Amino acid sequence: MIRRPRVPVPEDFTAPSHSPLVTARLGLWLAVAFGLCFGTGLLSHYIQHPPGWFTWPTRPVNLYRITQGVHVLSGVAAVPLLLAKLWSVYPRLFVRPPVRQPIRLSAHALERISVLVLVCAAFFELVTGLFNVAQSYPWGFFFPTAHYAVAWLVVGALLLHVAVKLPVARAALSTPLRRSGAAPAATPGPDDRDSSERRAFLRTSAGVAGIAVLATAGVTVPWLRRVSPLAWRSASGPQGVPINRTAAAAHISVPPDWRLEIVWAGGRNSLSLADLAALPQRTAELPIACVEGWSASAHWTGVPVVQLLRWAGAPTGRPVRVTSLETDGLYAASTLPAAHSRDPLTLLALRINGEELSPDHGYPCRLIAPSRPGVLQTKWVARLEVLR
Amino acid sequence: MRVTRLLLLVVGAAATAYGCWLLLPQLGTALPWLIGGPVLHDVLVAPLVGLVGLALGRLVTNRLRLAWIAAGLAASATLLLIAVPLLWRPPSAPPNPGLPDRDYPLGLAVGLAVLWAAIVVVLVVATTLDRRTDRQ
Ligand code: HEM
Repeated sequence: MIRRPRVPVPEDFTAPSHSPLVTARLGLWLAVAFGLCFGTGLLSHYIQHPPGWFTWPTRPVNLYRITQGVHVLSGVAAVPLLLAKLWSVYPRLFVRPPVRQPIRLSAHALERISVLVLVCAAFFELVTGLFNVAQSYPWGFFFPTAHYAVAWLVVGALLLHVAVKLPVARAALSTPLRRSGAAPAATPGPDDRDSSERRAFLRTSAGVAGIAVLATAGVTVPWLRRVSPLAWRSASGPQGVPINRTAAAAHISVPPDWRLEIVWAGGRNSLSLADLAALPQRTAELPIACVEGWSASAHWTGVPVVQLLRWAGAPTGRPVRVTSLETDGLYAASTLPAAHSRDPLTLLALRINGEELSPDHGYPCRLIAPSRPGVLQTKWVARLEVLR
Repeated sequence: MRVTRLLLLVVGAAATAYGCWLLLPQLGTALPWLIGGPVLHDVLVAPLVGLVGLALGRLVTNRLRLAWIAAGLAASATLLLIAVPLLWRPPSAPPNPGLPDRDYPLGLAVGLAVLWAAIVVVLVVATTLDRRTDRQ
């Protein structure tokens, strides 16, 4: 049989995986994956750019490590789910527009546009996210702001999509995948074969999502470190902890007369490194939890910031601006919210895992606070300023 | 349901508009990366998946075997996609002495080998069980 090639129509696709029963379930899973990404991403955004009403707890110390781990891993799981969903609805790309009915045509066009925005935005988030964790930026935009803006596009277009598809989705979700009625052992007819293929398609999609997570979860789950071949960071690095920015990259040279300056409204004080080391030290196990989802714990030894402020005679329980020796760069300074500055586990660390901090870890001293993104754990600290 | 749908519509439109507004300053540079996904998928990936599926359906007639091979291909393709940024670093990427911090090609190869070995084991076991039940 020879047919002239033509643009296919939806009816040409006969595989059971194109059924709305499959589409709606994959859609639900995708909504969970993207929902987790959006929620945890928004938290991370607010921690770094806190609006006035926002507070973030300091306990458990691993909280940010967990939320950001969930963020990157649900993004990884969304890769196969998105591809499976798009395969399931691929025939609908070829639905012919109702050209003769202007009202239905404009509704159709609007729906198509919203779905286009959704698919563009969903791919964009996954692709840029995966390149970002590999610290590769082959594009012209600034990743954090673009990734944040497009996250709103995904969520908005997703809500529009659900608004449009709700009747189909509800009907599909309330129809069981396994045909009931006839006894399970009844002779298989063509319908049973379809339903078993639909279930196999869904099982495969979920299984592949699981494999993808397993292949990357080692970035943050310690017992998977050696299992995950595609974990973008292992726990290794100088002094047992990975680093993102080296002292050389940040152009750090510690002056021989380095002193830590402490400034507050109505006073100032300063300490040499020897003064700092002579104060009572505390050791705590705290994670470096990067926005890129990787994390690693270490034993940090140093002076609790709250003790240091008390010793200097500065007020406590207020936000503290921590400034680095680094002069350029986005992360040359950070602000400790009041909750973190008064937490006794927030340290100005001098030692890591029993050794003096190496230059790449922030010698002479660095900030390490519980439940905070790594970019805010300022290294090469030069100055603490108590804010009002 | 009408109220729910209306609410979703309004909130969805508002969030989309907010996202557009946030993206506006970078729209020019982001646009190719936005359009690229669906274009690559619709004209390249999906037809390719369809053709591979058709060919596989002709070559492998046993349904169980077909399902496991298809699953193996889907998992392999996903792992390869996730590995792209780790295997291919365009020169524009800033140097980071900490990266790459392990042998990704080797890890990927081992991962794929383990995956396919597991599938072969499953298929051999399933076929043996089938034969046994046939003989009884
Ligand atoms: C990022 C998430 C999602 C993406 C990228 C996505 C993508 C798509 C696309 C491209 C279509 C074809 C549009 C058309 O009918 O012309 C579609 C259809 C559909 N989607 Fe989604 N979707 C997503 C999430 C969801 C969610 C959360 C649900 C609800 C549970 C859902 C349920 C459906 C249904 C029921 C259809 C119609 C299937 C049919 O009529 O055959 N989707 N989706």
